[in-house]
Amino acid sequence: MSFPNPATSVKLVLLGEAAVGKSSLVLRFVSNDFQENKEPTIGAAFLTQKCTIGERTIKYEIWDTAGQERFALLAPMYYRNAQAALVVYDITKPASFIKARHWVKELHEQASKDITIALVGNKFDLVEDDEEDSLRKVSVEEGQNLAEEEGLLFFETSAKTSYNVNEVFIGIGSKIPDSSANQPEAIRENNQGRIDLTSNNASGGSSGSGDCAC
Amino acid sequence: MGKKKQEMAQVYSNSNNEFIFGENGGRGKHLSSFLKNLSLTGSSASKSPSSSTKPDDYQEANSNIYGSLAWGAPKGTGGMPRGVSNSGSIISSSLKRTPTQRSVSLGTPSAHRSPTREEYTKTPGSSSRRRSQSNSRYADLDDDWDAGLDEVSVVPKQPENRNFPMLDSLYPDLTLPSASSSTSNLESPKKESMDFEDYQAKLEINKLNQLNSKYSKFRKVLTTDSSINLQDLRKLAWNGIPPELRALTWQILLGYLPTNKSRQRSTLKRKRQEYMEGIEAVANIDFEDDAPSNTSSTSIGTNREKQLYHQINIDVKRTHPTIKLYSFPEVQLSLRKILYLWAVRHPASGYVQGINDLCTPFFQIFLGHYLWQLQRKASIQKQGNEAEEDLFIQGLMDDTDTAEQALLQDPRLGDYTIDTFNPKLISSRVLSLIEADTYWCLSRLLENITDNYIHEQPGILRQVGDLKNLISRIDIELLNHFDHEGIEFIQFAFRWMNCLLMREVSINLITRMWDTYLSETPLGFNNFHVYVCAAFLVKFSSELKHMDFQEILLFLQNPPTQSWTEKDVELMLSEAFIWQSLYKNASAHLRN
Repeated sequence: MSFPNPATSVKLVLLGEAAVGKSSLVLRFVSNDFQENKEPTIGAAFLTQKCTIGERTIKYEIWDTAGQERFALLAPMYYRNAQAALVVYDITKPASFIKARHWVKELHEQASKDITIALVGNKFDLVEDDEEDSLRKVSVEEGQNLAEEEGLLFFETSAKTSYNVNEVFIGIGSKIPDSSANQPEAIRENNQGRIDLTSNNASGGSSGSGDCAC
Repeated sequence: MGKKKQEMAQVYSNSNNEFIFGENGGRGKHLSSFLKNLSLTGSSASKSPSSSTKPDDYQEANSNIYGSLAWGAPKGTGGMPRGVSNSGSIISSSLKRTPTQRSVSLGTPSAHRSPTREEYTKTPGSSSRRRSQSNSRYADLDDDWDAGLDEVSVVPKQPENRNFPMLDSLYPDLTLPSASSSTSNLESPKKESMDFEDYQAKLEINKLNQLNSKYSKFRKVLTTDSSINLQDLRKLAWNGIPPELRALTWQILLGYLPTNKSRQRSTLKRKRQEYMEGIEAVANIDFEDDAPSNTSSTSIGTNREKQLYHQINIDVKRTHPTIKLYSFPEVQLSLRKILYLWAVRHPASGYVQGINDLCTPFFQIFLGHYLWQLQRKASIQKQGNEAEEDLFIQGLMDDTDTAEQALLQDPRLGDYTIDTFNPKLISSRVLSLIEADTYWCLSRLLENITDNYIHEQPGILRQVGDLKNLISRIDIELLNHFDHEGIEFIQFAFRWMNCLLMREVSINLITRMWDTYLSETPLGFNNFHVYVCAAFLVKFSSELKHMDFQEILLFLQNPPTQSWTEKDVELMLSEAFIWQSLYKNASAHLRN
């Protein structure tokens, strides 16, 4: 890039079952902080953070969605124009991994076809010192396999210890195609920097670019 | 606007009464309420012997002084009682039980009152004398005010009286030929060249007195008749309920406690029993199990039940993480039971995140009420004061409860507040009663907003739409700015509706807001809340108009309400009320 610091905006959405640590991952990334009992997210929370990868500076505009099923209907308005998504599960909760599969499928069907998705198994701290592996319920291989099948980035993280958290965002940033990042700022602001809620009412799958081959 | 509200109250109170009494199997409420309204007006004239003698300026003053209901100082009591309540100046003959003393160590609610006695004794004699005189004059006017059914929105201003025998109040004019201090606390220092400290003391005392006067008004409505006049109670409660009476008043306004006092005890007993049976019926859930993982759970329920319990379990742990009370396992156990039972009994919505927040005001207000009862009782035992048991929610006290006896002997009892109290100190018996009351009151609240939590949450979507339309009426510039920046209301207002602003405003102020919500008819958690949200948003309008997309969202997710006081909230409620009056019937703005 020729400009000294042309921060490119990347809209990123977090999806995943309730209480897997979505908000905690974001809190760690944005504020390098951790709260043991964070209040459940209602609707969605918006946060931003800049991240420098090599010569590029990426400004993440993060929509951290609520995990409870009841709020799932709101999710499309947040992921529809997203360029990146983190699908998060809890490696000690098999049900959350099943939910993650569903989200990946939905993203492939409904979201922009260029979307960069990372699969994130959180709460690594719980199994770190766990000799018998009794707490871990989702193996690394399972995660890796899903990621390979679906063409996702894959990380295991701990928002609590901050293990691998920044790596997720750096990984995403490196994979975001330069073409989309290089768009002039003004256009991006108008087109993709925001969520278009109006299209949500027209039921899912209506977006022109949403159809995916896989 | 006052008129309007009153009218609305009348319109709705009919259906409401039916509802309440239908459920409790009673009949004849309308007649009795009607009769009582008659008698209220009638008796008020005869009740105040001195009101007929008042000079004209009293009436003028009276119009300013909403807050000065008769004090109910003890009839025939020799010395004046200790504490604040001796500000009482005239007896409302209709009070069956006289509140001799209500200020001693009420815990949190009374924190603002505790210094009163010192204040009074320190106050220079002359000024306290003036105050007493002025107060006595006001006290007489109360019944007048009552009879006039003036609107409640006037801020109560109450002059003072302490350490003065009742005689003064009965014959105000004998001692006060040219009293001028009565008009208001703000004017008096100018007129009387009071020194600064004196002035400060007076302001302080006035403030305390306002609270007391409010208390006495509630007391009157709550205890005078055998059936509580719901409309009067609503009118009072709209402007805030004294902390000590909040639990009782809320339960009545919600229709959980019948207005007919003779039925309260049996209703509570039945409802609490019903709750206990409900909990026993969900035997497949082990509420003691708060293990983080549902897979290791020993419960034998279906997958669906396990999942529900798991969700509630994880959310209860992170409910009000900053408030100590909710970190106690006993309290978390109670919340799990309440939320689970509600969810299984309301399968259309089930448990939705945010409902965990909504049950906490009830829980802590009711727990606080029990503490207050204990404190009252302890002060009787020590000082022989009257307990005001007619203001107690019944069935909580039990002489055979050893935990209760221990608390009554606890020298620190008077200092306990909801913020400092360790719930381990109360028995599981009382905790389950509080739980039951919380459950039923939560149910009542949620009945009004069921649409908010069912599939697709249509209630919330509608409210968010209503809010946007309202803003287009109230502050089109703000709306245009939001449009220009690409802000969608649902991005910030979804949470406002889903959690009733509980994430934006501290819980102590939320309880104040609920006083008003519960006084609105129908309950204000639905439509009125949208107007409150509009007032909330517009409050920040000038700042928001200078922000861009990100700044707006970040600001609205964490609005600067940390320093808010009740005044801020009350202003917001008043604005909401005005807008509701303006736009409620012009429903065109709600369609679009």
